[in-house]
Amino acid sequence: MTVLTVNGVNQVVDAPGDTRLLWVIREHLRLTGTKFGCGLGLCGACTVHLNGEAVRSCQVEIADAEGAMITTIEGLNGGQGGHPVQQAWLELQVPQCGYCQSGQMMNAAAFLAANPSPSDSEIIEAQQGNICRCITYNRIKTAIRRASDIMQGA
Amino acid sequence: MTKHMKKIGNFSRRQVLVGSAAGAGLVIGYSILPQAVDSASKAIAAGNWDHQQYLTMDADGKAYVYVTKCEIGQHVGTALAQAVAEELEINWEDVNVIYPDSHAKWGLMITGGSWSVNWTFDRNSRIGASARIALIETGAKMLGASPNNCYAKNSSVISNDGRSVSYKDILSKNTIDRTFSEEEMKAIKLKSFGEYSIVGQSKLPFDLPGKIDGSAKYGSDVFVPNMVYGIPVPNPVRWGAIPQSVDESEAKKIDGYVGAYVEKNGFARINTGYVVAFGETIWAAMNAAKALKIKWDLGENKNVSSEDIRNESVRLQEDPSSGFLWVLEGDTEEAMNNASTKHSAVYETSIAYHGCHEPMNCTAYEKDGIWHLHGGNQWQSMAQPTAAAALGVEADKVVCHQYLAGTGFGRRTEPDNFVLAAQCSKHLGGRPVKLMFTREQDMQFDFHRTPTYQVVEGGVEFGRMIAMNHDVVAGWSTKRAAPGFMPDSVDKKGKVDQFSTNGSDHWYDIPNHKVRSINNELSDKALPVGFLRAVAPSWTFWAVESFIDEMAKKAGEDPLAFRIAHLTANGKNAGSPPNSVGGANRLKNALLVAAGRAGYGVKPLGANEGMGIACVSSQERGSPTWTACVAEVKVDPNSGDLTVKKVTVAMDVGTAVNPEGVKKQIEGSTLHGISLALYEDMTMRNGSIEQTNYDTWTPMRLDQAPEVETIIIQNGHYPAGTGEPATTVVAPAIANAIENAIGARVRSIPMTPEKIKSALREA
Ligand code: FES
Ligand code: FES
Repeated sequence: MTVLTVNGVNQVVDAPGDTRLLWVIREHLRLTGTKFGCGLGLCGACTVHLNGEAVRSCQVEIADAEGAMITTIEGLNGGQGGHPVQQAWLELQVPQCGYCQSGQMMNAAAFLAANPSPSDSEIIEAQQGNICRCITYNRIKTAIRRASDIMQGA
Repeated sequence: MTKHMKKIGNFSRRQVLVGSAAGAGLVIGYSILPQAVDSASKAIAAGNWDHQQYLTMDADGKAYVYVTKCEIGQHVGTALAQAVAEELEINWEDVNVIYPDSHAKWGLMITGGSWSVNWTFDRNSRIGASARIALIETGAKMLGASPNNCYAKNSSVISNDGRSVSYKDILSKNTIDRTFSEEEMKAIKLKSFGEYSIVGQSKLPFDLPGKIDGSAKYGSDVFVPNMVYGIPVPNPVRWGAIPQSVDESEAKKIDGYVGAYVEKNGFARINTGYVVAFGETIWAAMNAAKALKIKWDLGENKNVSSEDIRNESVRLQEDPSSGFLWVLEGDTEEAMNNASTKHSAVYETSIAYHGCHEPMNCTAYEKDGIWHLHGGNQWQSMAQPTAAAALGVEADKVVCHQYLAGTGFGRRTEPDNFVLAAQCSKHLGGRPVKLMFTREQDMQFDFHRTPTYQVVEGGVEFGRMIAMNHDVVAGWSTKRAAPGFMPDSVDKKGKVDQFSTNGSDHWYDIPNHKVRSINNELSDKALPVGFLRAVAPSWTFWAVESFIDEMAKKAGEDPLAFRIAHLTANGKNAGSPPNSVGGANRLKNALLVAAGRAGYGVKPLGANEGMGIACVSSQERGSPTWTACVAEVKVDPNSGDLTVKKVTVAMDVGTAVNPEGVKKQIEGSTLHGISLALYEDMTMRNGSIEQTNYDTWTPMRLDQAPEVETIIIQNGHYPAGTGEPATTVVAPAIANAIENAIGARVRSIPMTPEKIKSALREA
């Protein structure tokens, strides 16, 4: 048994310790906002926060996540929704199919928490690992800048 | 072709029934059996209302628009609901969309070809209008007024003397029973461009909020009690491999392993046999899929490589007896003899992969004699009967349940994942199976875009092209997926796959024009090939628009002026209503807009920088979306590294139902086109796709996305499809820009740095 703290709730999970966190989040806990894209840490669709840091949950074994604060898209902003990143994503109508976007927003939220007013090249570098096959990259760039403005109260 | 598809798409038009039970809202739909039902409310009372119901309203006055399409990122439901709401005169807040299960009554359920809005706008407008008329008639009675003295606005019926009754009041207090004959439906006068208040607004897509808070439900998010997970083991050869035996000893050690399904027969046109590992958890199934030791018969394609497919194309093209004619006008041979400037060139494209970000999946189970298949699907009319055939049941014993899809790009028109999931569930006695492709499986087991090989030859006399010969060698996806859709060749000698050839019948005036369409059967067999976003125009315009540029330069003409000189809208290029009205003049206009906006030929550029132009009429001559593009590039001649600095796309969409939605489709499809043109290389070796995941197959990343400026041209003509055309226009614009930057012509997609360097050596 592994105890995981997901979005502030302790969850007892009956799964082998090497099970990837992604599958426990999605298929055991049914928090399906987190997505599978590659399983190799190459695309960022599975991005969640581990103690506030963006990680690829398809690469994290649940045994290593015990005791950590895990946040998924459903728990962003204390589960209230409306995180500045989500506000900006809605304002700019970023998603098309939407499949990559939870991962995009989780990655951007952690990045902006660490670097609230980034340069354009810092944004590009930070978001480089998140693939979008609808190729909404330009709106993602603009939305991250907009979210940063919202966070500064603009 | 569009005409042909349309006939299948819509049953021949019948009466429209608008009706209700007392105080219980309203249903509006085309009767599918006109002789059986003459009244909507009678049918409802008898409990046998079962029609093509495109709209319902509840007693609260809320409207539900039925969308038989798949949401693959294009927000199609929103645009189609806008068409209904416009004529219904309903407050937008009162509108919702529903994606119904598959049923024969819907006719053709397909999402592709940029057809959705184009095919459905008129119908949905009329559905909304018929409901409005019935509401006005009933509301007028309540007001004691004549319907002629009443109108509808903001979810109410209002009399000319200013009294009003809300839709909610009308629907909660009346029984409505109104039948519109086919003639009456046709005679309804719809609003025209300039009179719209909901059409033309960038309404927030219904599917958007759920994609931001994580609540959106895709096929892979389905859960059914007691389900097991199924993970297919990638076949070692894409087509032809058959599992002989499976050693489960290692898999059996895995906690939660359920078993393996070894299918040695496969299913026609879908696969030749496969192995699926089952687990109580997905982790168990994934580990088991790796642990199974399988002996395979590798089949006839075990040695096929990309080079073999290419060599076969070259051989076929060189054989004058190959192929069938798609276009034949004038006498190209004689005209070529008369031309003073001649040119010929070979254009190629590699294998391409759909790369849906949500890998293929489907959840299947049997309940009370009905098989339920859950997942995002672009062609339910194919998935339902094919799965039924694989299960050995009647088609009406299978129901496909629609979900959001994490991109589609045509991949989800294939029924394979639905068939596989159904077979897996049958194997387990109807137990629910959630079948999920890994990325590796999805990449190998795609129905890839065929590699293509095209030879174009042309001749110019006095500044005008008098001849064009065009050979298109490709795999023919329609031959596998829907052979009945293939039209006769122009010389009636055989069938041609239009979805492998269209686009080559372009809108330039060239009096002597011949297109030969040649089927590379090795490509069909070894891959086999499918439909990838925009399909044939992705390669035919690659050839046509590269060649026109080359031909212009060889004849000493400016590529923009040369194009314009040939876009005269004469004869067959004059176009016809509704879809292609205006003809080549609209393409010329788009070209001028893009060129003017980007500053083509005017903007100062640095060393090794260039601009290239191209224009297309994708998808088909019957449903063109007039699109032009200017690409601005910088090339490093030493490394061959290419930077696309900016692309400008002008698209004449006639009427933009949801302008922000259109803009997003143009942005996404433009960048997808660039990704295909530069980064998405794919190769076959030993009958197998060599790339396995996002490390070896490398689509565009964020730092590679140039600025895309979109210009939406509206002129009130009928709405055109916007999801695909831009995909087809960027590649030739980039190749033309590269030549203008460094004087080297690249004629092979993807345009990698190596190919750019080698083109430079040849320049
Ligand atoms: S699924 Fe984890 S990075 Fe792609
Ligand atoms: S929005 Fe579709 S993959 Fe990013």
